[in-house]
Amino acid sequence: MTKTTIPVHLDINGHHHALEIEPRVTLLDALRDRLGLTGTKKGCDHGQCGACTVHVDGERVLACLTLAAQAQGRAITTIEGLAREGELHPVQAAFLEQDAFQCGYCTSGQIMSAVACIREGHAGSDDEIREYMAGNLCRCGAYPHIVAAVRQAALEVAS
Amino acid sequence: MTVHTRHGDASDGVLADAVGGRLSRVDGPAKITGAAKYAVEQQLDGLAHAVLVESTIASGKVRSIDTTEARAARGVLQVLTPDTIISLRTASDWLGTPPPDKPYCPLARDITFSGQHVAAIVAETFEQAVAAAALVKVSYDETPAIVDLSDGKAGDGIPIDAMTKEWGDAHAAFASAPVRVCAAYNTPREYQAPMEPHGLIARWEGDHLTVWEPSQWLDGMARTYAEWFGVPFENVRLVSPYIGGGFGSKALALGHGAVAASAAKMLGRPVRLVMTRPQTFTGYGGRAATRQTVALGADHDGRIQSIVHRGVNETSMDGMWVEPLGSVTSIMYATPNFSSKQNVVRVNLVVPGAMRAPGENPSAFGIESAIDELAHEVGIDPLEIRLRNYAEQDPHAKKAWSTRQLREAFAAGAERFGWARRTPEPRSMRDGNQLIGWGVAAGTYPVRRAYGEAIVRILADSSVEVESSSIDMGQGTYTILAQTAAETVGVPANSVVVKLGDSRFPRAGVTGGSRLAGVMTGAVYKAATSALDQLVGLAISDPRSPFHALQANTLVVANGRIASPRGDGPDLSIAELLNSIGRDHIEATGDTMPANSTAQDRYKNYTTIAMALPHTEGDYSRHSWCAHFIEVRVDEDFGTVRVSRVVSALDSGRLYNPKLAESQWKGGIIMGIGQALLEEGIVDRRHGRIVNNNLADYLVPTNADIPDIEVISVGIPDLHSSVLGGKGVGELAIVGVAPAIANAVFHATGKRVRDLPITLEKLI
Repeated sequence: MTKTTIPVHLDINGHHHALEIEPRVTLLDALRDRLGLTGTKKGCDHGQCGACTVHVDGERVLACLTLAAQAQGRAITTIEGLAREGELHPVQAAFLEQDAFQCGYCTSGQIMSAVACIREGHAGSDDEIREYMAGNLCRCGAYPHIVAAVRQAALEVAS
Repeated sequence: MTVHTRHGDASDGVLADAVGGRLSRVDGPAKITGAAKYAVEQQLDGLAHAVLVESTIASGKVRSIDTTEARAARGVLQVLTPDTIISLRTASDWLGTPPPDKPYCPLARDITFSGQHVAAIVAETFEQAVAAAALVKVSYDETPAIVDLSDGKAGDGIPIDAMTKEWGDAHAAFASAPVRVCAAYNTPREYQAPMEPHGLIARWEGDHLTVWEPSQWLDGMARTYAEWFGVPFENVRLVSPYIGGGFGSKALALGHGAVAASAAKMLGRPVRLVMTRPQTFTGYGGRAATRQTVALGADHDGRIQSIVHRGVNETSMDGMWVEPLGSVTSIMYATPNFSSKQNVVRVNLVVPGAMRAPGENPSAFGIESAIDELAHEVGIDPLEIRLRNYAEQDPHAKKAWSTRQLREAFAAGAERFGWARRTPEPRSMRDGNQLIGWGVAAGTYPVRRAYGEAIVRILADSSVEVESSSIDMGQGTYTILAQTAAETVGVPANSVVVKLGDSRFPRAGVTGGSRLAGVMTGAVYKAATSALDQLVGLAISDPRSPFHALQANTLVVANGRIASPRGDGPDLSIAELLNSIGRDHIEATGDTMPANSTAQDRYKNYTTIAMALPHTEGDYSRHSWCAHFIEVRVDEDFGTVRVSRVVSALDSGRLYNPKLAESQWKGGIIMGIGQALLEEGIVDRRHGRIVNNNLADYLVPTNADIPDIEVISVGIPDLHSSVLGGKGVGELAIVGVAPAIANAVFHATGKRVRDLPITLEKLI
């Protein structure tokens, strides 16, 4: 039988992972099913909900619309890699303090988006935060608290 | 009254750790770091992956299923069709009604809706299963479908006599009333759309089945799986540590679960099956589309003399769903004459199901729009007319309210919103090309009560463990049960570990109808009290205890330490005490069941809804209440509607944790904004399909759609409703939001929209 898999090397949260997978495997399924990194969530698998947001070379990317092979050689950060030496990222801490989630399923994507939103300079006002966080759906309806958390974290990151 | 303050961490002077305190979610750290493993994220050896194939017609029969190519595809382990899947038994319904003695097949030969499961592929990898599923060829003999309520073939439906509520002579009183308004109000199909799609992992070990599945009701779902597969209830274990949203949709075991568990049994391997997002629109039911007419007869002062209400909801061809449309109509306002009746109409769709405040939600859209129309007709302020018709007791049950802080809600909300500055005429408030409208509406939800049980363990390291098969889908169960145990035993909340979501734990009924918090805080309170009594009893009576010589009647436990209330004698940590008397733990089970309950009663209570207590049981009628004040801005040229301000005052009784209750209230309000302006399942009338079956086309609110929202608690403890005084939180706040927005849109534009959602083409 012809070989249907390819070697893919991924650099995730500073760790190197070697996979032998079909080329059609998405980054999202590689993370969740092959590497046990289930913090990144699958909500729609169509780039519509934002639950799978991760960072690739520092920019927010939808892992469900990215093939794992496309991410080879690039620095991938997932929610599991955000806290440094056990210390929560300011965005994570703000989400807890502001109660910016309920069920928690969209939360990883919201936090990864929020970190990038602040880094992009799109957290200057509540309206700007709402606009630049609009790609991450939250059906529990934590939006006002997400805005508050991003606003709080943006101030902390700046200071 | 507790006014929400964004950064405050104290409320009513209550310590964050205690019941009523603003403790942050104890499951929060796991959720913000990605460590929380949801049900289908368990990593199991030998896991196989299943993908469903669904019908592409809405009515007819499967003529044949050609699986030749699919079976030959790489990685495929199994192709399941109605001919190849194992036969199951029909399970009882959620009332526990004994099922008909006939086999159950979760893959259909007879098609009654588009999107019905007809086949499934199981493969080594998810990608292989997806690819092979596309190779399955199904041919049909199609018959004409009834696509929705407006279909000419739909008819008037089936009268549901149990929904009829009547007193006085409503028709005669309406006919002779000096002022009459009568209109029809419609709501479309709406979908729960939790962010976590439905799915499961099923694993058999001999005749024991373990199911990792997001669940609002572990014991009820375990019963269904046990009955399907003909194994004892005890052989089925449901595990559901976190649930990525439910909103009513994850309470029952469904066909896809039967498919996955059958596949696992046939294959002898664990199988994971997760619905695609489009499949979640037909794999279970959303809120049924509804039609209501509301006729209000009143005097010239706006006092209601008669309400005549008729309702219709859609149900499926082979299932029954009744969305109780007269539930708010019959209790919100005092009226001497009343008549409400309801029919259901069979159409070709999946059987509808529970979605946030089933019944109350569409019911309130009808009556709370209608009274606004009456207010305009008689020229009375919409808030004033509600107070003029205030129901001092339950007009239907003729019983006193347990508590009803609705007048307080109107007052607090109006004050905060600035309602007094509203000018009454439609189109009278404007900001440039934006028409501004202010609307008000009330909401309510009954206090549903049931029973639960819990174990509380005091451990030798001074920590406390709580176990219950109840669940946390974001309402805050982990947190409020930690607070309850912490306060009752007398330890800090961070030394309490709450374990939920495993059917091996002490049992609980369904998490739905806003009943869980009241039930489970009661059970944990009882178990913790009993464990504390044991601890103090041993400290006094055990000869090895340092307190033995003190001959005290009692001891106090606070902050994890035990001492004499007089302050004399030893002062020990719980750990030191347990160590001194040679115990590694103290354990107590608590439940809220009646004392003489049999094992059969308990099984029935936890696995059916048959034993839930009526909210009008005894002398009182128990409900939560709320009032929403909403501002909209409507672009005069384009008809676009934006909600720009929301103030809601809510009576949920005592709040176990205001921080988390406020989040749930705001979530309900936001879902209500979606219902009012965005959400609608659109039916392709040629094929009976939902065409917008995804999160880009079925519009749920995004962050950019939502303004800041202010919520005010006006509740007082209601001990007729629960052990600790709470009523309901989660269902309440969505009720009344859509009519408040429709009323605000009328105030802004002079146009009354009676069909949800309020989209721009209805305004221009």
